[in-house]
Amino acid sequence: MPQITITINGKQCQCEQGATILQAAKANGIEIPNLCNDESVKVYGACGLCAVEVVDDGKGRALPKLMRACSAKAMDGYVIRFDTERVLQSRKIALELLMSDHTGDCQGPCRMNCPAGTDCQGYVKKIANGDYHGAVELIKEKLPLPASIGRVCPHPCEEQCRRGLVEAPLSIAFLKAFAADKDLAADTYRAVCEADTGKHVAIVGGGPAGLTAAYFLRRKGHAVTVFDSAQKMGGMLRYGIPAYRLPKTVLDREIDEIAATGVTLKNNITLGKDITLDQLRADYDAVIVATGAWSAMSMRCKGEALEGVVGGIDFLHDISSGEGTAPDLTGKTVAVCGGGNTAMDACRTAIRCGAKDVYVIYRRTRDEMPAEDIEITESIEEGVTYKFLTNPAEILGVDGKVKQIKLQIMELGEPDASGRRSPIPVEGKFETIDVDLVIMAIGQVLNPAGLDGITLTRKGTIEADENSFLTNLPNVYAIGDATNRGAGIAIAAIGEANRCADVVDSALKGELKPYRKPFLSTKTVTAEDLADRPKQNRVQMPTRPAEVRRHDFDEVNLGLTDEMAQQEAKRCLECGCHDYDDCKLIRYANWQPITPERLAGVRNVHETERRLVAIERNNGKCILCGLCVRVCDEVAKQGILGLVGRGFTTVVKPEFQNPETIAVCKNCHACVDACPTGALKFLGNE
Amino acid sequence: MKLVIGQGSCGIAAGAGKLYDALAPLLANSSTELGITGCIGMCWLEPIVDLYDGSELKARFVQVKPEDAEAIAKAAETGDLSGVQNLIITEDDAAFLEKQTRIALRNCGIIDPNSIESAVAAGGYGAISHILKDGVTPEDVIDCIKVSGLAGRGGAGFPTWFKWNAARQSKGDRKYLICNADEGDPGAFMDRAVIESDPHTLIEGMLIGAYAIGAQEAIVYVRAEYPLAIKRLTAAIEQAEAAGYIGDNILGSGFSCKFRIKAGAGAFVCGEETALIESLQGERGMPRLKPPFPAEAGYWHEPSNINNVETYANVPWILANGGEAFAAMGTPDSKGTKVFALTGKIRRGGLVEIPMGKTLRDVIFDIGGGIREDKAFKAVQMGGPSGGCIPASLLDTIIDYKTLSATGAIMGSGGMVVMDETTCMVAMAKFFLDFTAKESCGKCVHCRIGTKRMQEILSRIVDGKGQAGDVELLEELCEAIKDGALCGLGQTAPNPVLTAIRYFRDEFDAHIRDHKCPAGACSALLRYTIDPEQCKGCTLCAKKCPVNAISGSVKAPHVIDSDVCIRCGQCKSVCRFHAISVG
Repeated sequence: MPQITITINGKQCQCEQGATILQAAKANGIEIPNLCNDESVKVYGACGLCAVEVVDDGKGRALPKLMRACSAKAMDGYVIRFDTERVLQSRKIALELLMSDHTGDCQGPCRMNCPAGTDCQGYVKKIANGDYHGAVELIKEKLPLPASIGRVCPHPCEEQCRRGLVEAPLSIAFLKAFAADKDLAADTYRAVCEADTGKHVAIVGGGPAGLTAAYFLRRKGHAVTVFDSAQKMGGMLRYGIPAYRLPKTVLDREIDEIAATGVTLKNNITLGKDITLDQLRADYDAVIVATGAWSAMSMRCKGEALEGVVGGIDFLHDISSGEGTAPDLTGKTVAVCGGGNTAMDACRTAIRCGAKDVYVIYRRTRDEMPAEDIEITESIEEGVTYKFLTNPAEILGVDGKVKQIKLQIMELGEPDASGRRSPIPVEGKFETIDVDLVIMAIGQVLNPAGLDGITLTRKGTIEADENSFLTNLPNVYAIGDATNRGAGIAIAAIGEANRCADVVDSALKGELKPYRKPFLSTKTVTAEDLADRPKQNRVQMPTRPAEVRRHDFDEVNLGLTDEMAQQEAKRCLECGCHDYDDCKLIRYANWQPITPERLAGVRNVHETERRLVAIERNNGKCILCGLCVRVCDEVAKQGILGLVGRGFTTVVKPEFQNPETIAVCKNCHACVDACPTGALKFLGNE
Repeated sequence: MKLVIGQGSCGIAAGAGKLYDALAPLLANSSTELGITGCIGMCWLEPIVDLYDGSELKARFVQVKPEDAEAIAKAAETGDLSGVQNLIITEDDAAFLEKQTRIALRNCGIIDPNSIESAVAAGGYGAISHILKDGVTPEDVIDCIKVSGLAGRGGAGFPTWFKWNAARQSKGDRKYLICNADEGDPGAFMDRAVIESDPHTLIEGMLIGAYAIGAQEAIVYVRAEYPLAIKRLTAAIEQAEAAGYIGDNILGSGFSCKFRIKAGAGAFVCGEETALIESLQGERGMPRLKPPFPAEAGYWHEPSNINNVETYANVPWILANGGEAFAAMGTPDSKGTKVFALTGKIRRGGLVEIPMGKTLRDVIFDIGGGIREDKAFKAVQMGGPSGGCIPASLLDTIIDYKTLSATGAIMGSGGMVVMDETTCMVAMAKFFLDFTAKESCGKCVHCRIGTKRMQEILSRIVDGKGQAGDVELLEELCEAIKDGALCGLGQTAPNPVLTAIRYFRDEFDAHIRDHKCPAGACSALLRYTIDPEQCKGCTLCAKKCPVNAISGSVKAPHVIDSDVCIRCGQCKSVCRFHAISVG
C-alpha cells in the first residue's frame, strides 16, 4: 500500500493510503478517544468521541464539519487536530450526555470516602480469597504503612460502607491491618522502584505524610532524604499514638520497608537549627515540608502555667520517647481536657501509668465527642470517668503546683456551624475537683520554627495550594498537619502525600501537573435497595480484658484470625464497578473536566439482570455503543443480540425480544470483552 | 358533461367518498359521467367537484356536502348552474390556483390518478418515450438536468445532476434508483399529493433517472401511513408494466428497469437516505456514516441514487421542455419551482407551487390569504423539525435556498406551518424537540441523549420551572448537537430551538424570569381567577371542575384554588357571566 503523510496534533505521521484517521493515529502511537470502535467489526460511528477537525485538507482549506476519525479516511497532507476548542467542546458534551444517563458507582463508597483513595473493595476481595500478599500490594499503591494505619485509622471508609444499610459496616481498617501483618510476617512485599532519575528531593518531617511522600517519590526513581528532629521516624504515629494501640515494633517494620526502597532517613536534625530551608532549597531539586503540628493548644484559662499542667501531645510524646518508661502516677488524680482522640490516648495512658482517678473534661456530651466511640467505650472499661458538660474555668494551685480544677457547668444550646449543639455556660454553676495533673488535649498547632519565608495562614498553618501543594516558595511543597486546615487524621495526610508525590514527580520530569480530583460516577443506594441481603454480623475484634490491659502498654487488640478475616471480607457488597480499571468511558471522562450535573434529567432504568447464560447485564452502565450486538453478529456469528426500542429508551435485548434466541449463546463472552464499560460481566462457565 | 370529484386523502377526509356514493346512483342512467381526480391543492375547500364539458372546466363546486349531490347532478344534466351558485368557488379562492406556477403538480387534481390513459393524454411518458426512441443518451439526460439547475427537493437542495452523475460514474454490478417518499415532517404532504394524484409522473421521472444512472431496479420507499398513495402507485406500476414502460427492453430500446414499492414502518429517521437504505435491506432503520455516499455504496453497497418525490416529478417536464425552460424560473441560486404545504393558522391551507424567488409574503398573504380570524401573523416554520421559524419582520424574505438558510430556517421539503399571535414560540420549539427526541433512532449520543435533554429543558421552561442560564445551556447543546450528531436528523434538530431563541428570546425570558407566557398558551403559567363582582354564585363552574379546585356557596362569589387547578379551562367555558379570567 502506498504511504501518505498526515499531521495529527502537530505530529507528522506516515500511514497507509486508505486508512481511517483513527487507524493512522493508532499506528503512530496517538490515542484518539473512541468508545464504539473495534477493529473486529464494521465502523459504526455512534459515540462521537473520535471527532477531529481537519484544519487543512492539504490544499490550504479547512473542512467545515467535524469528522469522525473512525470512518473518515486519512488523505495525504491532512492537518488534523483533536485538541481544538471545537473538538474538546463536542467531546465534552458527548461525555456529559453519556454520564447524565450513566448510573453506577465507579468506586465503592469506601474508596470514595478514603482520603487516600485506597482501593478498599479491591483488597477486601483479595483477603476474602486468601490472597493477603495481593491485598498488600494493592494497599501499598496508596499507602505504605497499612499495618500501622489499619490499627489507628478512624476509618472514614467504614462510615460510608453500604453494608451499614444492611446491618453493620465492614471492619475495613482491621482487615487492612490483618493483611499487612500477614505480609510482614511472611516478609514478601518488595516495592519496585523505577530507574534512577538523578533528581533529589528533601523531605522535612518523617511522620506519615513525609514517609509516604518519600516512599512514592522513591518508587518513581527519585533520590529522597527525610529529615526529622526526633530520634526515630514515625512522627505522630510513634510519639502521638500510645503503644497499646500501635506497637512500635509494627511501625518499625513498616518504616524499615520504606527505608529498604533506598530512601535516606536522617534523624535528630531540626529545621532552623541543624539545617535551613534555604540550604535545602539550594541542595535539592525539591523540598517537601511535612513537619506536622506539635504544639498543644492553650485552653486560655487561668492557671495554665502551673506546674502539673501539660499539653496532651507533650504528655504522650514524653512517654513514647522515653522508650517505655512511663511516669508513675500511682494514686494520682488526672484531669484530661478535650474530647478528641488525643484526649482518649492521654486518659488511657494515664490509667496505664497507675492513676487512681482519671477524669475526661468535655464541654458537650458523648454524642458530640469527636473521638472514636470504641475508644470511649474501652476507656470506660479501663476506669476513666467522664465529666460531660463541664469546661475548665480555672486551674487552682498551691505553691505554683496544681491543686484543683474549677469546672464551669455547661448546657447544650442551638446547633452551631458544625451541626453539633453548642455548649453554653450555666451561669453561676461550678464544680471543683482535686487534681494532681491536668492534661490539655484540645488540639495541636504548628510550631513555625525554621519556616522563615514561608507564608502562613491566619490560623498559623502553612499556606499550600490544595492541588499543587506548592507554598509561596518555588519548589517548596507542604503537606499534612502543618498546612492549611491544620491537624487532621493520618490517612488524610497520607492522601495528600501521595498526591503531592505525583505532582513533584511531574515537576521533576519537566511539567508540573497539579492534582485534579477525578470525575467518578456515583449512584444512590438506600436500605430498601438492599433489603433482600441476608444479614451477617460484623466480626468483632477480640481484645484483652480491661482489667489486664489497663496495667500495661501491650496492644489491646488481639488481631483477627484467618477465618474471621475471610468471613468478614466476604460480607463486602462489591459496590464499585468491576470494570473500573479497564473502563474506557471513565478514562475519557477524565481527559478533560466535565460537569454532567448541569445536564441532569431522566435516566434509563438501571437494574442488573442475568441475561444470557453466564452474563450479567447492567443497563445503567450501557452506553449503547452497540459493540456487544455487533460482535455477537459479526465476530461470534450468533446474532443473538439486537437493539430494541428507539431513541433515549433504546435497550440491548435478545434480537426481536425473543428469549429463545438466548439458547444459542455459547458463553463465548465476546460481547463482554468488547464492552467498553462495566455494563456486561462474565460470571464464568458454571 | 363530466363531474369529477377530488379524491386525494384530504378530499376523502372531508367527505369526498360519501359524496361520490351520493352522486353515483343519481348519475347511473345519465349522460353525465362521474370520475375522480386527485388533490388540486385547495384543501380548505374540500370536497371539491369539478364540472367538465369535454376538457373544458365549466364550474368548480367547493365544500360540497352529500346533500348537495342532487342539485349538482341536476346542474350537470341541465347545464343550468343557477341552483348551485352557492357552491361555486369564489373568485378570491380561485385566485389561489391562478397565482401559482405548476410543474410538479401540473396534473394533480386534473387527471384521473387511476388511469394511465388519463396520464398519457396529459403528456405522460412522452419524455421517456422520446429519450428511448430518439437516441438521447444518459449523458444527454444528465446534461439537461444540469442545465435545469434542479436541486433535491427533499430539503438538502443538493444538485440532482451531480448525484446522478456520481451514481452513473460509480462502478458496480447493479445499480439502484430509489425514491424517498417517506415524507415525515409534521405538516408536510406534498409528496403524498403527488403520488395520490399523479403517480405516473413519478414513475416516468424515476424511469428517466434510472436510465441516466444505469439502474436496473427502481424502488419507491413510501411510508405505510400513506395507504391510498401505495394503492394508487401499485396500480400505476401495474398499468405501466402492461403498457411496456416498465420491465425488460422498454419500448424496444434495450433499457430494462423493474419497479417495486417498499412500505416504511413509521420511523421518521428512515427519511434520512442512509437509514432508508438500511431499512430497505431489512435492517434496523439507523443511519450509516457518510462517506461512503450512496452513489458509491448504497443499497446492498451498490451504487444507488436517492431523490425525493417532488424532484422526480419535475424531471419529465424538464426533459420535455428543456433544462433552460426550467432554469428560466427562479433565482440565480435556486431554479424552477417549489411546492409548499401551507398549514397552521393560515386562511387557505393547501398545496402551493410557485417559482423560486417569490417572497414569503407572496405565499402566506397573497396566495394563502393571510391569517385566520384576522389575527396577527407571528412566524412561519419552514422545514419542519429540521428547519426553523421566520418571524413577521422577515416576511419579505425571498424563497431560495441561500436566502432562507441565512435566516436560520431552511427551504426544507416544503412544510410551511403558519403561526399567529396565540402561538407560544417556546412551546413550538418544545413541540419539535418532542418530535425529534421521540424519532431519534438512538444510535449516536448527541442525538439520543442530547435531544432528550433539550426537550427536558424546554419542558421545564414551558412549565414555569425554567432556570436562569437555561437558554444559554440550550444554545450550547444546540451547537454541540449540530456539530456532533451522526445524521441529518440530529444535526438539524436544534434548528427550531435556535431560531426560536434568535427571534423570540424575549418569550423565553418571560417564561423563565417572569413565569409568564406572552402568548397565553402555556397552561402551567396561566392563572384562572373569578371576578367576585361578576360571579353570581351559580355553582356551575364548581360542578364542572374536574379536580374540585373551585369552592363557594350558592349565590356567593366562588374562588379557584390555584394550587389545585389544572388549568383545563372548563370553568371559563361554562361560565355564563364572563366572571372567569385567565392571565
